[in-house]
Amino acid sequence: MTLIPMSLKVNGTRFERAVEPRRLLSDFLREDLDLKATHVGCEHGVCGTCTVLVDGQAVRSCLSFAVQADGCEVRTADGLAQGGKLSVLQQAFWEKHGLQCGFCTPGMLMVATELLERTPRPTKAEIEEAISANLCRCTGYYTIVESVQRAAEMMQEGAK
Amino acid sequence: MTATFPKHIAAEGYIPPSRQQEPPRKSYKYIGQNLKRVEDPRLLTGHGQYIDDIAVPGMAHAAVLRSDRAHARIKRVDTSKAKALAGVYLVLTGAEAKEVTGATAQFASPPVVQYCLAVDRVRHVGEAVAAVVAENRYVAEDACDLIEVEYEDLPVVVDPEAAMTSSGDAVLHPERGPNNIAQHRTFTFGPVQEDFAKADVVVKRTLRWGRSGAQPLETVGCIASYEPGSGKFTMYTNSSFLNYVGWLVGASLGVSASKLNLIPCVTGGSFGSKLFTHKVMTLAGTLARAAGRPVKFLEDRLDNITSCDNHGSDRIYRCELALQRDGTMQSLRFQVIDDYGAYFQFGVGTHGNSLCQIVGPYRINSVQMELIAVLTNKCQQGAYRGFGSEVTNWMLERMADAAADELKMDPIELRRRNLIQPDQFPYVIPSGNLYDSGNYPAVLEEALRIAELPKWQKIRDDARAQGRCVGIGAATCQERSVFSATEFWSLNGTENPGFTLTSSPESTQLRVDPTGTIHVTLGSPFWGNSPETMATQIVAEQFQVDPSQVNVVYADTQSGFNSTGPGGSRFTVMIAGAIVGAAKQVKDKLLRVAGHMMEADAGDLEFRAGKIGLKGAPGKEKTIGEVALFAHYFRLNLPAGDDFASGVDASYVYDHPLTTMPAADRSHLGIFYPIMGHMCHLALVEVDPRTGKVAILDYVAVHDAGTVVNPMTLAGHIRGGTAQGIGTALYEKFHYDENGQLVTGTFADYLMPTLAEMPPAIRVGHVETPSPFTEYGIKGGGEGGRMGAPGALSRAIEDALTQYGVRCNELPLTPRKVRELVRAGEKP
Amino acid sequence: MKPAPFEYVRPDSLPAALDALARHAPAGRILAGGQSLVPMMNLRLVKPAVLIDINRVPGLADIRVDGGELVIGALARHAALLASELVAKHCPLMVEAYRCVAHGPIRNRGTLGGNISHADPASEMPAVLAACEAKIGVRSAKRARTVPATEFFTGALATALAEGEMVTEIRIPIAKPGQGGAWRETANRKGDFAMAGVAAVVTVAGGKCTHASVAVAGMEQPGVRLPAVEKQLVGTALDAAAIAAADRMAAEVVRPGGSYHADPVYKRELVETLTTHALAAARERAR
Repeated sequence: MTLIPMSLKVNGTRFERAVEPRRLLSDFLREDLDLKATHVGCEHGVCGTCTVLVDGQAVRSCLSFAVQADGCEVRTADGLAQGGKLSVLQQAFWEKHGLQCGFCTPGMLMVATELLERTPRPTKAEIEEAISANLCRCTGYYTIVESVQRAAEMMQEGAK
Repeated sequence: MTATFPKHIAAEGYIPPSRQQEPPRKSYKYIGQNLKRVEDPRLLTGHGQYIDDIAVPGMAHAAVLRSDRAHARIKRVDTSKAKALAGVYLVLTGAEAKEVTGATAQFASPPVVQYCLAVDRVRHVGEAVAAVVAENRYVAEDACDLIEVEYEDLPVVVDPEAAMTSSGDAVLHPERGPNNIAQHRTFTFGPVQEDFAKADVVVKRTLRWGRSGAQPLETVGCIASYEPGSGKFTMYTNSSFLNYVGWLVGASLGVSASKLNLIPCVTGGSFGSKLFTHKVMTLAGTLARAAGRPVKFLEDRLDNITSCDNHGSDRIYRCELALQRDGTMQSLRFQVIDDYGAYFQFGVGTHGNSLCQIVGPYRINSVQMELIAVLTNKCQQGAYRGFGSEVTNWMLERMADAAADELKMDPIELRRRNLIQPDQFPYVIPSGNLYDSGNYPAVLEEALRIAELPKWQKIRDDARAQGRCVGIGAATCQERSVFSATEFWSLNGTENPGFTLTSSPESTQLRVDPTGTIHVTLGSPFWGNSPETMATQIVAEQFQVDPSQVNVVYADTQSGFNSTGPGGSRFTVMIAGAIVGAAKQVKDKLLRVAGHMMEADAGDLEFRAGKIGLKGAPGKEKTIGEVALFAHYFRLNLPAGDDFASGVDASYVYDHPLTTMPAADRSHLGIFYPIMGHMCHLALVEVDPRTGKVAILDYVAVHDAGTVVNPMTLAGHIRGGTAQGIGTALYEKFHYDENGQLVTGTFADYLMPTLAEMPPAIRVGHVETPSPFTEYGIKGGGEGGRMGAPGALSRAIEDALTQYGVRCNELPLTPRKVRELVRAGEKP
Repeated sequence: MKPAPFEYVRPDSLPAALDALARHAPAGRILAGGQSLVPMMNLRLVKPAVLIDINRVPGLADIRVDGGELVIGALARHAALLASELVAKHCPLMVEAYRCVAHGPIRNRGTLGGNISHADPASEMPAVLAACEAKIGVRSAKRARTVPATEFFTGALATALAEGEMVTEIRIPIAKPGQGGAWRETANRKGDFAMAGVAAVVTVAGGKCTHASVAVAGMEQPGVRLPAVEKQLVGTALDAAAIAAADRMAAEVVRPGGSYHADPVYKRELVETLTTHALAAARERAR
């Protein structure tokens, strides 16, 4: 079995590894780098639980091989909190009850991160478009939308 | 208290006295607050420690080979090539596993035997045939591909009615009987025949509730370690029954309870499906012992969809509702055929569950149920949010709507006419269960007020004028809470009812440490409900301390007390009872010590704002921390006697607040699920008659869950439950073809609603009728909206398609199905 | 659900990719966006022995206009096409259809070339390309050729790609004045595959339809046009009666196939309904 050498940045830290080509990015992050925030729900690309950002784009990590992230910057929900403090987005989810079991939450946080980075003042429709990409079995989605709205609001307030 | 009884149940002594210690109050400091959840910070940062996040040194990984056919004898399993693959530690067949591990736990009587790996026969597509333990999951799956199985196909049974007349090789469990009927029994509660004879009108319907299931985003898993010297198993599990009946896993593995410790994990959703994951735990333990190293078995989605052992109810109802001409309901009689799949772990518990609220919120006088439970070549049923009573809720609402149509009455008016009235509580229904409190007319009126029904009617009428199909549906349904164990066996034959379990407690241990922090130990895990937040708010209320002074931890089976766990909307009520019971002892101790410290009578002291102080004397007080420190470390400064032993702690086992035995002849089932919530759901939908697509334009849900600890989290369950109800009503089905192949075997075909399928909002309202039997009058609300949505949506679609004479008697109402109904109505 | 082992090759140029494809034929498969291939690999429905990752091949993702054609590189991502001003201007039908395709993260990675190479009958783009009379640029190490979209799709999950060949570009005649296109589909949930989808493009001159192309998704085969329906429409005023006749014929001539979600009778009805809406919208846009 040939291992493929690769180098990538994950949440700002550079890693060098040699991996089996078939190693899924989701498993690489969780097992090889011990970053457990990214969860695996279906492994066939439907639920979106495993969503991470690769070079700023939301991507389903169960549909990507780790080797494909060679040379890329990957961001996961593990890296959102900085200096021991919840990020604004995480605070908003906490405030607005945007999670119940928490399993889909990392994926929701990452699609929300992509959205807010591209569109700092998203309309409700834009938030709904982003959130409709991912499954949640607990909340019915409304508080997730409210959480993202609240985060956008807090970011605007913070920017002033 | 005065209560309402059916004639066939003697009132004398029927209702035990209430054990409520904390009556409901007009206002609270912490109960009723929208406290941000205690659980969230670590979940948000990825530190939840779900089972797949946990690693044990030396851990290996398991995968199972699943059957590709629905019913077959296993002739031969050749594992030689799999064993030879590099990185494989062990390959085990069902026959090999059976040599060391017994059948999995189950509650039916007589039992239907299941093993963690199929032994001589597979009974559904996806059933595990062999297991591989390897260095990682990738290699384990490679090895599964190398296992060769020779099957001898047997006849496949997927139609529940055909299952009733199966014979020979089509019988899944020949040791149990000559056909696939697992149970066939009729129960009569009250004078059914008489009531039908007297009725003016009998409305009949055949109704079909399709097979859906919980499918939480986290699957079932177990990490098992076996220490060969001591012979002890340690397991991480995302099951919730661990401190209730977890030791049964040890029984399967052939070890005593002293050789088994189950450790709970934060769980990514359950909705019932992780109540008791005995098969996965038994398998992981078997593999760990055989492999000589810890083994993680985490189902992947294919494993779980095909073999989760927790499909929901799959029922055919033939019902008759007897009414008077003015719309008053008299009696309900029905035959139900329920397709349990290949095994029968909970017996007919889901029908026991149905019977606890079988008359809904209506004053129906008598009920008869002919129950036929069958076995077929499908994954077995387990628990799914409602545990069977969400089905009878739907059935009752269909019958109420059918009656309204036949009597040409407004369906809301017909319901209003039949509602149990506020002055009739506690209300004993014909099956024997009790409804503790309620105000059903108020819930209905509140729902209509929030929806602004006349506005909805105008939207509908304007749409109709434009040729669009818009409709309104209403459902008024019960949400029972706090199940009692008797529902698992009370419908079994009385000569052999099985294990007649009557305990379903919840326990806690409270400890105040020398800093004044109050530690609460829960015997049951987190699965997306908010147990830490509930416990924190209740403890804060009991001690009048800031929530930040409370710390919640979870007990494994070595240290936990008998605890049934979440499920049946019971956890908040039960943990409140346990905390109140333990807190009383702890508060008494603190008051004793404080009294000594302040040279005051304990009876003159009160808890206020984190302190214990003299009533009416604002300055004379000590912090709880000061009192606790003294209690922990200054024994010789306190009087002799056990009352002043060092420390501040207590445990409490809180039993079900109100449960009684079924009658010996089962003419009633006793009181078994009396903490009775209620809801009214209203739906406004538009249907495209050409495509069958349904859009939900507006939705209102008003719930009565008694005293509400945290309105924000309750609303979350109402909305989330409604989302699952929408899934059940319109999208989700486990569909097996005639060969028993699961056609909807991935998330590409088992369709759960995304945000795009939800209505623009679910407008939630509240009514509170506290329970006289629980602490603070709390009722459960966790099952929430799934109990009411199917009824409201079925009627709304019917109403929208009135011109086609559509009747929604089958779920799910997929676009294809709706179009089929319209097409039938289009024919000249 | 982990994929079976494979050898991994990552060429850094088109010639290298074609060479790898030739060398590893028939076992070698192209890895582009992976949004169709990797789920199948995770489910072990397919076990390619060699994956040729073309994601680093430069110049394959361009979107440009060249001599009256919109030229889309095979590696262009769905998200880029949905957001592209060139596509919005020259093939608005594609943009409209893209709104029904999957979800954002899938569109971020999935490619048009990969999608059509996969040739799922329920997928939207094969029908769009057929209706737009697109041509598919195909290359191997030995030759380059162009295949009309309608000949590119040969069956469910089957294309005209021979061993060693890959899609390199898609060429679409740019929309002309008097031309209008529309996409209509019925899916179970937003983003799901189409139970039925209709792409209609009409050209109107002097109040009459001078050209029509109608293609359907969700049937037995992808990228199927309905020549009988098109012939029926040409010369008409695309009034209600003409459209009604066309959509009835469409329902009759399609080979619907059928599945749990949609049986053949239902699919035919959907085709009829969707053709009506698609043609009416296309006609409006042709003004």
